Amino acid sequence: MKVKCYIQGIAAITPQHTFEGDIFAQPLESCSSNLLSVREPDYKAYIPANSLRRMSRMLKMGLTTAIKCLQDSGLGAPGAIVTGTGKGSLQDTERFLKDIRQYNERALNPTPFIQSTYNAVNGMIAVQQQCTTYNNTFVHRGFSFEHALLDSMLLLQEGTPHTLTGAFDEMTEEHCYIKSRIGMWKTEKVNSAQLYEHPSPGTIAGEGAVFFALSARATAQSYARIAGLQLFYKPQPGFLAAALPAFLQQQGLSPRDIDLVLTGRNADSNYAHFYQQLEAPLPGACQLPFKHLCGEYETAGAFATWLAAHILKAQQAPRQWFPMVPAFPERVERILLYNHFFGEQHVLMLLERAGAHGG
Amino acid sequence: MEELKKQLKAQIIEALNLQDIKPEDIEDNAPLFGEGLGLDSIDSLELMVLLERHYQIRVEDPREGRKILQSVQSMAEFIQSKQPA
Amino acid sequence: MAERVFITGMGMITAIGDTVAANLHSLRQQQSGLGYTRYLDTIYREVLPVAEVKHDDEALREMAGVPGQPQYTRTTLLGLIAMQEAWQQAGINDPLREPAGFINASTVGGMCDTERVYFDLIDPSKDGPFLQYIDTLDCADSTQRIADRMGFTGYITTISTACSSSANAIMYGARLIKQGLQRRVVCGGTEALTAFTLNGFNSLKNIDKQPCRPFDQQRNGLNLGEGAAYLVLESETLARENGSTILAELSGYCNSNEAFHPTAPSPEGDGAFAAMQQALAMSGRSIADVQYVNVHGTATLNNDVSEGKALQRLFGREVPPFSSTKPFTGHALAAAGAIEAIYSVLAIRQGIIFPNLHFSEQMEELQIVPETRLLEQQPVRTVISNSFGFGGNNASLVISKYEG
Repeated sequence: MKVKCYIQGIAAITPQHTFEGDIFAQPLESCSSNLLSVREPDYKAYIPANSLRRMSRMLKMGLTTAIKCLQDSGLGAPGAIVTGTGKGSLQDTERFLKDIRQYNERALNPTPFIQSTYNAVNGMIAVQQQCTTYNNTFVHRGFSFEHALLDSMLLLQEGTPHTLTGAFDEMTEEHCYIKSRIGMWKTEKVNSAQLYEHPSPGTIAGEGAVFFALSARATAQSYARIAGLQLFYKPQPGFLAAALPAFLQQQGLSPRDIDLVLTGRNADSNYAHFYQQLEAPLPGACQLPFKHLCGEYETAGAFATWLAAHILKAQQAPRQWFPMVPAFPERVERILLYNHFFGEQHVLMLLERAGAHGG
Repeated sequence: MEELKKQLKAQIIEALNLQDIKPEDIEDNAPLFGEGLGLDSIDSLELMVLLERHYQIRVEDPREGRKILQSVQSMAEFIQSKQPA
Repeated sequence: MAERVFITGMGMITAIGDTVAANLHSLRQQQSGLGYTRYLDTIYREVLPVAEVKHDDEALREMAGVPGQPQYTRTTLLGLIAMQEAWQQAGINDPLREPAGFINASTVGGMCDTERVYFDLIDPSKDGPFLQYIDTLDCADSTQRIADRMGFTGYITTISTACSSSANAIMYGARLIKQGLQRRVVCGGTEALTAFTLNGFNSLKNIDKQPCRPFDQQRNGLNLGEGAAYLVLESETLARENGSTILAELSGYCNSNEAFHPTAPSPEGDGAFAAMQQALAMSGRSIADVQYVNVHGTATLNNDVSEGKALQRLFGREVPPFSSTKPFTGHALAAAGAIEAIYSVLAIRQGIIFPNLHFSEQMEELQIVPETRLLEQQPVRTVISNSFGFGGNNASLVISKYEG
């Protein structure tokens, strides 16, 4: 796609201290329960009490992140609101299922049903921002955020001045248990900070809400440019060997132009072979794994995009989060992101420093 | 009746998760919707659930609901009218 | 110059028929699909009418070509059956020759099957074949199973914006084509009846115990339905290259938002008005060119007032014939937009305007009434199809006769 897509604003509620303050000074948070839960801010600063009283956790997280992102961007109401979520408001879905059973289908409170709707967060942001234009929600596992991004890039190409583009997912104990029954998580408890030292079947669960304000025009405030995005559905095991060089070539780049690789590596031995293929086409490139920070979930790619944007803007990484990485590059012009969700939805994304490349 | 209204106020606060409001803050005849407590149509559905769960009274028609749910007073009167004398 | 987007294939299954032709037949016979459920486990079995597809899961598995495979949920099965017809009609034999995208829509994924076993799933003491359903709850499950079975190799994703989901899927597919990312995209949605959604709408006091009466003064809510519908969209270039049969053109679309309330539309129909107006502007047609509007028309108190007002605002005194086909199919949520998009194509190709069943009394808020007769031999060249949903999500499609 020809359109230039700049990240103009950003906000994230994640298992790390990402919502407020200087992320380069925040300690690495870890857990030993195989479930990295988000650090929730005080929502009252963002949402009036009368609105908060009915909202479930996912809605508060999503709406607050969206509001903070728009504040950060300095842009007005967005020209479109596009989001991705794998599971929507899981707590509401669980609650309504239980209410149906507990009350034998009678006298049911409609709120969990309304909020379990996957586009509930979008609707709420639209009301809050009085945004009457395009509004869409993608719900496709490891492609949820990425299609929200692709849709946003189409919108920028079509002339929408800026979009609010985000992703959110939550994990509950109950759902964690359900997914454990098909082997998604490690059976042994692992400290998330030492995740990569424990290759075995399964990984650790996570969650988060991340929003971006995207624009076709760069300003001094731009974090980064999203320069390329390619999605692969259930590719062959060895696909990266050809797909990665082809992806770079499309952007007129060679492997040497990549300063940093963000990899979705998650110590899941079932799918580790995909990540191992990154070495050959990108010899010697500095690799930053990120799943020990956010855990594995459908829209973890949004967390990685958030991280990449910060690194490109600040020209430094929050090193304290990466004790396992011995050396960081001096300058970071381009970051390649490779992530997949349990081997099915694979994503290659290229992010560039804003303004550095004639944009 | 007074006891019923007091109980109703506490139940409303709990059901709707009203913040920083005590039963004595709600006047018997103050409108619950719009100006008053700032409740909306979803709250009205939740109040109908309250009537059903606590008082076993089912309001079928949302239009009828609007009249019943005008105030704590109107709710209490409705409940009393439905209860065996 | 952006590519024009043509509809070159359609497939569907609803309560009124297992194919597009069977649906057309029932529409012509004015045969509603509403009745009481045979397959849903609910206390409302004989209380709330629904428009259920007239086959049990095992029969659907046979029809879909996956007999004895319980991991295919009803949502997936309905989708597969509709998809196979769409491919057949579009003459797609070799999916590798032209990579096709698949944009699916779903509101509650495989809830229809998951809700029956959910409490076993969360109970460590329970074990058994139900574990096969674990990964079918989310919306992507049906999309991927359909994609894998058919062999889709292009963009694959799922949209969920409540009742407007599949209209938005069609829109997204068209935009991928217009911007040259894909030349063929199959778009639509699939929805199976669930106790979850039935209780959900019932908790909103939005379900009529009678067959629904859209745009009627006495209307009292919707009836849920189920089904699946897919439209094959192709770029003009591909359609010509391929010699595709062009059924109609998707000439305009718009998604707008009410920004008003989580579940209710704005009283004056601001979102509906904006969606219709902008979709029509994009199509290059004027209000005088519209011969028929397939309205969202759920028969809820709120929808019909605001949608009716939007029609009056857009068309003034010259509101064209309009009808809701929900009394035929029920409200099939994520599938509704695609079902009604196909009905819009049929209206154009057959020169027919469908009746709004169960109407008797004009709404006091409106000056207009829906078309209640089946009109044949109508010169229908441009149709607007509306789909509006929770979260204030409004989508309007403009479908036009292909005239070269």
